[in-house]
Formats: sequence, C-alpha cells, structure tokens
Amino acid sequence: MWTVSDETLVAGLASGDHDAASAFVQRFQRRVYGLARTIVFDERAAEDIAQEAFVRAWKHAGAYDPRRGSVVGWLLTITRNLSIDAVRVRVPVAIDPAALLGYDAASSERGPVDHAELADDRERLRAALARLPEEQSRAVVLAGLLGYTAREVGEIEDIPLGTAKTRIRTALLRLRAVLVTEEHTE
Amino acid sequence: MSDVSALSCAQVRELAAELALGILSGAERAEVLLHVNGCARCQAYVAELTEAADVIPQLAPEAEPPAGFESRVLRRLDGRERSVRRRWIAAAVAVAAAAIIVSVTVVRVIESNDTTTRSVATQAFGTVGSAPVAVAMEGGVVPRPAGWAFVHDDHGVAVSVDYGIPSGRYAVQVTSARGASTSIGTMEVVEGRGTWTGRSADPLRAGARVALVDANGAEACHGTVPTA
Repeated sequence: MWTVSDETLVAGLASGDHDAASAFVQRFQRRVYGLARTIVFDERAAEDIAQEAFVRAWKHAGAYDPRRGSVVGWLLTITRNLSIDAVRVRVPVAIDPAALLGYDAASSERGPVDHAELADDRERLRAALARLPEEQSRAVVLAGLLGYTAREVGEIEDIPLGTAKTRIRTALLRLRAVLVTEEHTE
Repeated sequence: MSDVSALSCAQVRELAAELALGILSGAERAEVLLHVNGCARCQAYVAELTEAADVIPQLAPEAEPPAGFESRVLRRLDGRERSVRRRWIAAAVAVAAAAIIVSVTVVRVIESNDTTTRSVATQAFGTVGSAPVAVAMEGGVVPRPAGWAFVHDDHGVAVSVDYGIPSGRYAVQVTSARGASTSIGTMEVVEGRGTWTGRSADPLRAGARVALVDANGAEACHGTVPTA
C-alpha cells in the first residue's frame, strides 16, 4: 500500500516513475472523475476529461510548486478548467448548490458551527456555504465550481450584473473569513 | 486599442473575488494583475481569496470512474514521448529559477517572501507614473484577440492570454521601433491561459511589437504598440 505524501507522489510522477503514476491515479481518480461529472453531467465526457486531467498533471508535474497550494487543489483546478472548457457552449441552468456539493442548506438555521467536527478546509467551507444566504451560495458555486462569469450568473439568476458581482464577492469574502478564522483559532 | 487607466486599490478589490474564482476575461485579468503585481497589500488580499476559491472545486462529490480507468490513463502516459517531457521539465526548472512566472498564484509566492519574484514584479511595475498602454494580441487559432499585452512606462511589460493559444512554452519577444528583436522571457500557457510580467531593456514605444514565439520559432500571437 502506498503511503507517501501527495507531494512525493507528484515528484515521482515528474521523474517518470510508473509506480508513482499508478499510485497518483489511484489516489485521486475518484475526486477528479467526481468533479468532472459534477460539472459536465455526462459520464463519457467526464471520463475523457478525467483522463486528460491526469495527462496534464503528468506533463506539468515538474512545475508543481507546493508553495502555491495543495496537490489536490492543483489537480482539481486543472480538472475544473478542462471541464468548463468542455461545456463552453452552455445553457444557463438553475442549480441547487446544496445538492450539487452535498451540504445541508437547512443548517443555516443552526447556531454556531462545532469547530471540532470540521476536520479540514473542505468541511469548514462546506459548513460555511451552508450558512450563507442561499442566493449568495448559489452565486459563488456557479462561479467557483461551474466557471460562470458574473454576467452569466446575472442571467441565470435574473438579476442585474452589479447584484451578481456583489453576491459573488460577498459570498467569497465570507468563505475566506471562515477559513482565516479557523486557521487562527487552531 | 487605447490607453487604459491604472486601477486603484478599491477598484482591484471590487474585482479580486472574480480574479480569485478565475472568471474574469483576459483583458480584465491583465489589468487587475498589473496592479496586483505591484501592490503588496492587494497581493495578500487576492491570495486569501484565492485560497478560499480553490477549495470550492474540492467540495464536489467523489465518484467511482468506469472500470479500467486507471489502466487507460497509464497507457496514455506510457505512450507519450519522453524526450519532449524532459525538455519541458528542464525549461520549467529554468523558468522557476528565473522566477518570472507571474500569475494569480504567484501572489502566494510573493506573500511567502520569495524576494526574487517580488523584486521582478516591483522592478516591472514598481513605479506608477503613467497609464499602461494596452496592446491586443492577435493571431491565435481563431479571429479574436488571444489576449492582451500592457506596456507601462515604455519598459514594463505584462502579457496575458486566455484564448486560442495551445498549451506550451513561449518566448516573449519584443521588437523595438529600432528594429531589434529580443527575447525578454519565457511564458507558460496551460489550458489556454498564461500570464507573464517583466521588463524590456529597449523602450517599447508606438510601433514596437510584442509576440509569443513557440519552440519552432513560429509566432503564436503578436501585437503592436499603438500610437498614443
């Protein structure tokens, strides 16, 4: 069983190590494929994108810089961009961000979050999204996950461009505040 | 093509969330980066927002790919031309050493006290005297600008492309009005997008050219500094 760090796997990938490449794919394939499928809603296209994401990661592994972010963040950003490019001609759709990302919107009615339960940034952000006003979480997910521009968010939500920009900005500032606060209280 | 006003900190902060989420157009992104690369406080601000934005795709649910996925990926990796990749890595290392990759993510590098990068960015855009001149970069695979170059005080250069340029490494080549062509750096384009900032020793006034040149010496896109 491979137990090396994500960063070491990337180094192995960069050096052309077959075992490292195999372990890298095994470790991240569910997340890469899951993200692609979430964005493109099509299993066949999702597989093509996921394959391409790993090929890109392999090609660019030598330039991966841990100071710029985590391995999974890097890999999923590649996947997100490929997925968005694949659905460049898009029909604006109304989405339910809570269903898409698996958090409970009803939890916004709850009291303060139990910090001890929030193991990592993902859980913190998921909890923070759940606590945002629904129109803000929708705006930031449309932009941050699906790559819709502020103008497209405005069209989807039937709101002026300025309002869309404000919702996106306010939502991201609140998410950032949650992450920053958590870091400082650890 | 016209002069653009340098953005203020307040204007940049209005757009910082969209920059962090990767949803700004190439021209807007270049304008914001022009400011951000020379303003430590806005760099830190954008870095914090980018950190939050990068977590959003990580929230997507995991899913089991179809059977045989891993072996299909590994077959594709094994079938690739090794020597190309080695060259790429060597080039990437050289570029990293020169610390001239400037992108949204570089604000993190700057924030983490990478003084080399900081000095390059400051050197390029440290003094804000006059408005930068926008240059449309034409000649991608489609008939629309591949991106923009901005020339600031005749020497500072920022290039941002986001459309129609194949992934790869490109020389940033400038040709001053005197006719001398010089490569002033190397730019990386990944998934159609890339950003670079640096300086030209020769002044780049009206009529000067900025081009991205691929490994075979072919121009991927180019633009000419307009008459002010």
